[in-house]
Amino acid sequence: MTRNLLMSLAASFALAVAVVPVLAQEAASPEAEAASRDKFRQLDQDVQSLKKEVLDLNRDLFLLEEELLFPANSQVAFFISMDVGEYFKLDSVNLKIDGKEVANYLYTDREAGSLLRGGVHRVHMANLKAGDHELVAIFTGQGPHSREYRRGATMNFSKGIGAKYVELEITDRVKKQQPEFVIKEWE
Amino acid sequence: MITRPAIVVFCLLVLASLAPVGTAFAGKDGPEPIVVEEPHYGEVLFYFYQEDYFPAIVRLLAAQEQGQLEQHAAQADLLKGGMYLSYGHHLEAAEIFERLLADNVNPEIRDRTWFFLAKIWRQRGYLDKAQQAIDNIGDDLPEDVRREATMLQAQLYIDGGEFDRAIALLQDWKGKTEWSRYAQFNLGVALVRSGRMDEASKILAELGDIDPWNEELTSLRDKANLALGYALLQSGQAHAAKPLLQRVRLEGPFSNKALLGVGWADAELDRYQRALVPWMELRGRDLLDPAVQESMLAIPYALAQLDSISQAADHYLNAIEAFYEESSRIDRTIGHIESGLFFDEFISDEPLDSTGWYWRMEALPEGPEARYLFHLLATHEFQEGLKNYRDLNYLWNNLDRWQQSVDVYANMLETRRLAYEERLPRVEEALSRADIDGMVQRKLEFDAQLNDIEQSGDWLALATEREFEMWGEITSLEKTPALSANIPEADEVRDKIKLLKGVLQWGLEKDFGERLWRIRRDLRETGEALVETQRARRQVDDSMQKQPLEFRAFDERVYGLEPRIEVLKMRVGDAMAEQRAFLRGIAVGELQAQQRRLDTYTVQARFALAAIYDRASTITEAAVK
Repeated sequence: MTRNLLMSLAASFALAVAVVPVLAQEAASPEAEAASRDKFRQLDQDVQSLKKEVLDLNRDLFLLEEELLFPANSQVAFFISMDVGEYFKLDSVNLKIDGKEVANYLYTDREAGSLLRGGVHRVHMANLKAGDHELVAIFTGQGPHSREYRRGATMNFSKGIGAKYVELEITDRVKKQQPEFVIKEWE
Repeated sequence: MITRPAIVVFCLLVLASLAPVGTAFAGKDGPEPIVVEEPHYGEVLFYFYQEDYFPAIVRLLAAQEQGQLEQHAAQADLLKGGMYLSYGHHLEAAEIFERLLADNVNPEIRDRTWFFLAKIWRQRGYLDKAQQAIDNIGDDLPEDVRREATMLQAQLYIDGGEFDRAIALLQDWKGKTEWSRYAQFNLGVALVRSGRMDEASKILAELGDIDPWNEELTSLRDKANLALGYALLQSGQAHAAKPLLQRVRLEGPFSNKALLGVGWADAELDRYQRALVPWMELRGRDLLDPAVQESMLAIPYALAQLDSISQAADHYLNAIEAFYEESSRIDRTIGHIESGLFFDEFISDEPLDSTGWYWRMEALPEGPEARYLFHLLATHEFQEGLKNYRDLNYLWNNLDRWQQSVDVYANMLETRRLAYEERLPRVEEALSRADIDGMVQRKLEFDAQLNDIEQSGDWLALATEREFEMWGEITSLEKTPALSANIPEADEVRDKIKLLKGVLQWGLEKDFGERLWRIRRDLRETGEALVETQRARRQVDDSMQKQPLEFRAFDERVYGLEPRIEVLKMRVGDAMAEQRAFLRGIAVGELQAQQRRLDTYTVQARFALAAIYDRASTITEAAVK
């Protein structure tokens, strides 16, 4: 009797094994599987709908935050970008506006990698009065031959009435095999 | 303008959403590089490349709302679809793709996208949608992906119980590649499920004899041998079953079951001594495995058959004790899971920023329950349920952070309004003092006066105060009565006065042009300053008019968002509770099934033990008699 009972357990297991690669649930009946799948789907649809609503809410909050903290007429955004980046591995950027330090950003490998692939990082947002301003950016990292590298770039820019975007671009100067730091502005 | 080579959006999509299908595609077609024309698009890419899909999508939605992605409109939509998919927001992604993929999209990308959607939907149990997505695939999939798509179709047929269609699809599969072996196995599965055991046996026998060249195929071979071995054992062909079961590796996911089966094959042939060898090997293995549990009963069974009654009784007693302990541990684990602590630990072990479709939990939080639930991780429902639970937790934390920020914004807005209301009377008073219109009028009068002076050549009008005084003195001297006397002294003075007057007039006439130009220049500058002042005044007036409206608009937004956050947070909390209950149900159900099996084994062991005691007492009684 024991033998028969044990063997019946083994046999039921044999069929289950055969089904494993297609459906992982070993012991569930098709009805139970379907019920569980329906329940999962209903929950998943709820999650999908919540994701959409939270994303939309985040969009609204993001815009509110920006408009509240940095009104368009005084807004200046500073972006960091990289083109190629063979001769420079970015570690950090330090920004001074009109002699005052406003940002000191350390890049993780993941962030630096993202810049190399074409991502653009908004490193700082500020409210500035209309008129002339001076920006000093200091880039630190590894230059050619993995040497410590620290370079500054300065520019004067004029802030008008609308929002202003300033791009700090790190490019390669192939002829000199050195990185080049360029500051550009656009309205 | 940013002009920098970046990766073409199609390539982004491939990376974002199609990576698991095969990365060769990214480089194969050599996508044209594009330039990032707008910084906000580059900013989206910055987060996208870090696989931080949530902030990337939020920035993309915000930039689209503000019209900041005009140069990248089409690419942005496609990227959004890819990111939604990567974020696990598959229904929204599909809507975008359905809209976009109908247009001028590379057919291979279109087919890959449908394939990937089909795969995701099957994993998530959306079998109807998975089938629709497969139906949308054209003829442009590369060969390796095409094979996988065919396999997916067969699995969908099996899921839906359409075994004959699955068999028809799989039985024509040619070749001896890895995919053909998987096809063979699934064909065997479909045949077993449709009750065509003989045909299934042939397929599985062939598969069980292959020379595998990698771990997956070795595992597949083990599985085929195990399934067929047990099927033969069940139909009483122990002799044929044994060599198949012996082909299964000694160390591997199926080794315990194979060892148990080998023992049963020998037992069926009444070779109990031999049967004990694999079963004894199982004794030292993890008791959680049903094969190991069963071996604990099989060993005393064989010993009893070999008349080692006392040893058999000891083994049964050991088994009962071990099953009892295991069952108690499972009880504690069920308690731990039901208390919700397990899921709290799961969340606390996961970094908050880990979201996305490709996240896969490799290990459960450390604890006694991990051992029992490990194989649940292999199931789609549990994995996908955990993903949803983790994503919901991310949403909850996100809303919680916003809730605090919105409080700060409400305070900030209030402070700004107070400061504005405090400054407003001072500004109004200062503005009322400034008569800009009067200034403009005076400037216009000056203009007219200057025109008259120019037209009449009135050089005296442009004299300096000193020159004008001098001119006055000279003309008054001219009129002195004494100078009209007809005497030589008077003549001399008259000549001197005439000379002085002439010199002064000459100088004034000479400087007239330059002075006129200077005054005109000053007047023009004054005019410009006045225009600027008028503009500034209009701005101040405008701002004074708009500011209260802006405050009101911000108020409405801030105070309107607060309840939205609150309501969503509650709904997310409810969804988390429901998701937790669903996962708890699966986990506890699994543990209870394990416990039921242990209970069955315990009952069997007790019966067997009672039978042994009966037998022993009968023998003793017979001996006494």
